[in-house]
Amino acid sequence: MARSKVFIQRKDGRIEVRIASDAREFLKSVIDQLIAAESDSAHPWHGTLHSPITPSADSDDPLRSFERQKMTATSAELMRLTLDESFLSQDEAFAWLASMQLGLRARTSEAAIFTDDDLAQADEASLQTIRALQSFLFELATTLS
Amino acid sequence: MKHERSTSTATLSQDEVVTEKSWNVVVWDDPVTPMPVVALIFRKIFGYSNNKATQLMMTVHHQGRAIVWSGSRDRAEGYCVKLQANGLLSTVEQDS
Repeated sequence: MARSKVFIQRKDGRIEVRIASDAREFLKSVIDQLIAAESDSAHPWHGTLHSPITPSADSDDPLRSFERQKMTATSAELMRLTLDESFLSQDEAFAWLASMQLGLRARTSEAAIFTDDDLAQADEASLQTIRALQSFLFELATTLS
Repeated sequence: MKHERSTSTATLSQDEVVTEKSWNVVVWDDPVTPMPVVALIFRKIFGYSNNKATQLMMTVHHQGRAIVWSGSRDRAEGYCVKLQANGLLSTVEQDS
């Protein structure tokens, strides 16, 4: 039996979200980690959120780093606020996309998965998180395209 | 005198050409990001057509990286920050 879609584009432009409560809890845990990692330099996800912008420069422009921090926090907070909603605006849906994608990349880096070979040898717990986020991302991106 | 002035202008112009190399926004491949996500983010940030965004996404996938935009350093860094805030692996480098 075909799996039913969880993100559906409505005629009025909104995105309907049909995610079960346990999946929303999973996404909440990802977003909570993202929000915590932004300001906590000891958090295992912090490095992914603060990667170099211009590696050849001695240091990145602090204003650019601040701009990125603001964008990341805004998306994560917006997703956190709308996590229980049944319908999202386009902006809210893009905030979900950005936050889930950041969560995916951060979780992958935490598990030291940088290549296809690393992914093939990843532990089951990491793979479960990665596959779940990939599935939501794939479907949301397809819906928004 | 007139001749000297025009020479220095020419030299200055030459210097300007040398120092005004483009800055490239590079997106790097990673093993987990779904392809439609990459193409959608390119369309959203740069306003590229679906064809161009898909083509750049395929370049990232097959070649490990793609230059997705070139121009001034300030704008390049601005785009890079947006790509990073959307979860893509991106850096800025000067044209060689």
